[in-house]
Amino acid sequence: MLLDAFLALLDIWVLVAAVFGIVVGIVIGAIPGLGPTMAIALLIPVTFSMAPIPAITLLLGVYQGAIFGGSISAILLNVPGTPSSAATAIDGYAMARKGQGGKALRIALYASVFGNIFSCLALMMLAQPLASMALSFGPAEMTTLLLFALAVIILFGGGAKLDAAIMVLIGICAGIIGLDPIAGTPRFTFNNFALENGFQLIPVLVGLFAMSEVFLQLFNRPKASAGAQEVPELLPTKVGLAEMWRMRTTMFLSSVIGTFIGILPGIGSTVPAFMSYSLARSRSRSRDPSSFGKGAAEGVAAPEAANNAVTGGALIPTLALGIPGDAVTAVILGAFMLQGLAPGPFLFRDYGVEVYAIFEALLLSSIPCIIFGLLLFRVAVHVIRIPPRHLFPAITILALLGAFSVNNSMVDVWVMLGAGIVGFLLRRSGFPLPPLLIGLILGKSLEQSLRQALLTSGGSLEIFVASPIAAGFLVTIALCVIAAAVFHLRTRNKSEKSATGNV
Amino acid sequence: MSFSQFKKLTLALAAGVVGLTALFASAEEYPSRPVTIVVPYGAGGTTDISARKLAAMAEPLIGQPIVVENRPGGSGTNAMRSVAAAKPDGYTLIATTSSPLFVTPALRPVGYDPVKDFVPILNYSGPFHGVLVKADSPYQNINELIEGAKSGSTLTYGTAGAMGGAHLAFTSVSRETGADLQHVPFDGGAAATAAVLGGHVNISLVPAYRDLVQDSQLRLLAVLDGTRDPDFPDVPTLKESGYDVEFPSVVGVVAPAGTDPAIVSKLEQVFTQVAASDEYKAFMAKLNQPVRIMTGEELGETIARNLETYRALAKEMGQSK
Repeated sequence: MLLDAFLALLDIWVLVAAVFGIVVGIVIGAIPGLGPTMAIALLIPVTFSMAPIPAITLLLGVYQGAIFGGSISAILLNVPGTPSSAATAIDGYAMARKGQGGKALRIALYASVFGNIFSCLALMMLAQPLASMALSFGPAEMTTLLLFALAVIILFGGGAKLDAAIMVLIGICAGIIGLDPIAGTPRFTFNNFALENGFQLIPVLVGLFAMSEVFLQLFNRPKASAGAQEVPELLPTKVGLAEMWRMRTTMFLSSVIGTFIGILPGIGSTVPAFMSYSLARSRSRSRDPSSFGKGAAEGVAAPEAANNAVTGGALIPTLALGIPGDAVTAVILGAFMLQGLAPGPFLFRDYGVEVYAIFEALLLSSIPCIIFGLLLFRVAVHVIRIPPRHLFPAITILALLGAFSVNNSMVDVWVMLGAGIVGFLLRRSGFPLPPLLIGLILGKSLEQSLRQALLTSGGSLEIFVASPIAAGFLVTIALCVIAAAVFHLRTRNKSEKSATGNV
Repeated sequence: MSFSQFKKLTLALAAGVVGLTALFASAEEYPSRPVTIVVPYGAGGTTDISARKLAAMAEPLIGQPIVVENRPGGSGTNAMRSVAAAKPDGYTLIATTSSPLFVTPALRPVGYDPVKDFVPILNYSGPFHGVLVKADSPYQNINELIEGAKSGSTLTYGTAGAMGGAHLAFTSVSRETGADLQHVPFDGGAAATAAVLGGHVNISLVPAYRDLVQDSQLRLLAVLDGTRDPDFPDVPTLKESGYDVEFPSVVGVVAPAGTDPAIVSKLEQVFTQVAASDEYKAFMAKLNQPVRIMTGEELGETIARNLETYRALAKEMGQSK
């Protein structure tokens, strides 16, 4: 079967489709506001008249390419191209400011490819068992998993835990706006129809991260004249195999997190990226704790491996059960159907050759992805030398376009600008933005799962301990809190001791 | 890819030729410029893809390009509102579904009146919604299920979202029969399907169940529509099983009210011809969507009748404002 599938790949159109898909994906992903969902939806009509294997290879190439592409603008401009690359921006941009932009991009590329290959292998070998695992996640399990994700972000995300907790809560509160997920009644919409969907992720992301950067630059301006703005030099950018090998555990764990969360419905790739970042940060404690946030290579590799691993994970329930977990996979599901490859329990039985050919094409797409990525970097690293007075107007235009294009709605543009001002104020006052984004992403799901769980149990909290998975997560959360508290006390004692020692 | 370009070129040429002849043959000037069909959901979904195919196949027949425009948001009501306000000249149409036509407007103010602000052109699809239980569930048919829910144990049912047509339909069943059915809304039909497969709810009321039923992972007990699903001719409708309720799923084209009746009838004729063609049926079969043709008049009646039913139901549930 695998050989038949491989033979089916020996078609020039498969190669063309793979390369075209990856290239389009990377470019679209790099543009803030445009994401994989839109790119795939726009390309579906192009694939109408193509054969199934190249058609799907093209679309999945776009999917993978776009997730990686987001990291380019995140690293070079501190403006994440897609929500999932917001975590990459933290250390990626710090590296770029140190002149290591090229190195950061390469690390992101290799980690992305690693994540893709890992999750694609999981998809090929374990689709059926992993899909059944996804089904065992009901409302109660989801509630505890989401709480766990929030706990990880707050406890291990870096910075003051209280600040992070406040930001998460603000994000969750912002998620209240819109239709009540259970009763269906509008909340805080002030009879504005456009607010019934709540705050859309893309406008909020673009506002928080891209527009706020523009505002920051705007208000920083007076102290230096435009020409005197220091341009970071471009240091040699080689990333040795040894360096990537050093990060193998980080990349492996991040890929596991990405694949696993990708399988579960509705969480997306932003949360696993931040979870992996937090995990990498807490693991590196012994070695080099202070480097995170200031340009740690692992701070780039971890989120990139994780967010790319989500792609394969998200395809597992989509293909094995015909149940897509988010907007992107729902569009991909439609594309499979159009090609006559109806996802669901019969897909692997009836179209095994086609499906395995597509998977193999995905694995092999790593080659054009690396080649094109490296070529693109030669040009892209120079973005960093564009003077701000040219760069930031362009970013503003892209941000406005990106926000508008989500729903063709002006309300999203106002939300984007509002989020930009909020982001600007929060950054000026030193609050971390990622927890706010995570709170917004997970808030609604958390509310919905919690209320669903209580509806199914008739209001009894017992449902959270009756399920072994849910109980397991609760115990893990408790352990994390204890570990964080113990560590906190120990470091405080240490610093107090050293302080008294000095006196 | 060169093939697709070639195909597009021939299509464009064909459209041009047919367009010219139409211009001379028809006394009517409509359409003399491109027609827009708004889709109230995102690009790439089944409503979008089926509308795009319908448009592409109708282009050569009306002799003008048909542009499909996605205007998602507000469960489809945003697009409905903008089309209701559009000029009724036949150049702005909307391919829309049950939820913004007669479910949401019955529940809360949406800024348009589905009956007064639109003139129906035709119905061409509508996925069947089923009553599904897990294959190892003890309930073999819908009556056993309802009896089960009447004998002391609460049964939970998942739907694609709060206050959707399926939710309202089952609320009505529960009221009529006194069955203890607890609603659990999910974020879309896919999530509700996953929940019943995982055993987190007892029942799910969802579309797109064919393969999972044929694979014996789920059991189909009844359909919510007024007619049986041709894929499962032995499974009764709720009405046939003795419950006086139905949730007809429609996907149709409507135009703003005030559109010239001659234009409406021309569009109805063209779209009906396309929807009834074998090519369109084959295309829809791939999408796992049925082709269900209703005349504009029938669609209008369906909308008006169900709007009333749902309004009454919503009022009873105390949700209407």
